[in-house]
Amino acid sequence: MASDRRQPADLADILERVLDKGIVIAGDIKVNLLEVELLTIKIRLLIASVDKAKEMGIDWWENDPLLSTRRRDQELEEENNELKERLKQLESGSDSGSGSGSKS
Amino acid sequence: MSTTGLYAYAITRGLDPEAVEEQSGIGGRPVRLVERDGLAVVVSEVDLEEFGEEGLRRNLEDLGWLETVALAHDDVARFSAGRAPTAPLRLATVFLGEDSVRAQLAEWHEQAERALDRIEGRTEWSVKAYSDPSARPAPSATSDDSSSGGTTGEGAGRAYLMQRRAATQRREQTAQEDARIAEELHTELAGLATMSQRLAPQDPKLSGYTGVMILNGTYLLDDAQVERFTRTATDLGERQVHIRLEVGGPWPPYSFSSLDAS
Repeated sequence: MASDRRQPADLADILERVLDKGIVIAGDIKVNLLEVELLTIKIRLLIASVDKAKEMGIDWWENDPLLSTRRRDQELEEENNELKERLKQLESGSDSGSGSGSKS
Repeated sequence: MSTTGLYAYAITRGLDPEAVEEQSGIGGRPVRLVERDGLAVVVSEVDLEEFGEEGLRRNLEDLGWLETVALAHDDVARFSAGRAPTAPLRLATVFLGEDSVRAQLAEWHEQAERALDRIEGRTEWSVKAYSDPSARPAPSATSDDSSSGGTTGEGAGRAYLMQRRAATQRREQTAQEDARIAEELHTELAGLATMSQRLAPQDPKLSGYTGVMILNGTYLLDDAQVERFTRTATDLGERQVHIRLEVGGPWPPYSFSSLDAS
């Protein structure tokens, strides 16, 4: 018999169960927390409020291969942008610096 | 066009339709049963503004909303599981009317019966194990502080690198040891359960524990298995100083209710 009582700290346990477990049958409303949709939700949660989610103990994206791949992609992109930015700074720095620019 | 739908919480068998009247669901609305061929789906009315495709897509991104609905979902599942065999449904299963609920019940009848057979007289229990590095027995050799006194220049650099390397090695060793302990704990507990699963570890911030969650296991127990299981879990928790075990339950059998598993 499941008891009717509940500990407040169970929220993360509840979320991980009601979102990822339980029987899946198709309702008439087609936002079932399945595959693509679930990932979308996870991503959105991740982007919208990482801190709140983390407070609640939700860290599924860190264990979700697809998500972590995406995250890696995102990190790579960010790194890329940073490098480009840095390169631009260096280039403009050397231009304005000693006048050693190759231009004319 | 209807403005209310039916939110479905769980499939159940033999639950007294009058008993559910004392339980309320999402938004405090009354819970009722939609029955067919000896099975029933526990439902309550919801507003389709909120639970239609549009609304759900919007609301599922709102963690406050998600929390409220998840708690209500769990309340109803718990109520039902405390009184009859109950297979909880996944969050946000919404129908437009009783006819489509019955149609689904008919379609899934056999699988649902099997799922209910599997969990009848059983409950789900969770065991989490935390490793607390600060409570871990000190490593045997503490060569860190023996870096020859008054080191400057290259000596200091090398000492620093060696310290860093030693720290990394210790961390890796600790992680490997914890992984082994988690595996052993789970194996032992799974041996006392009817079915078992390992879930992904949760973030430490929720319950404010210190250390690392090394095991987030969930176990389906016969009512007759419960006492021995919880006693063993308690004993296992006392075996090592730096490992703490937390037993939670009983839960409605969320993790063992899928329709396809045999």
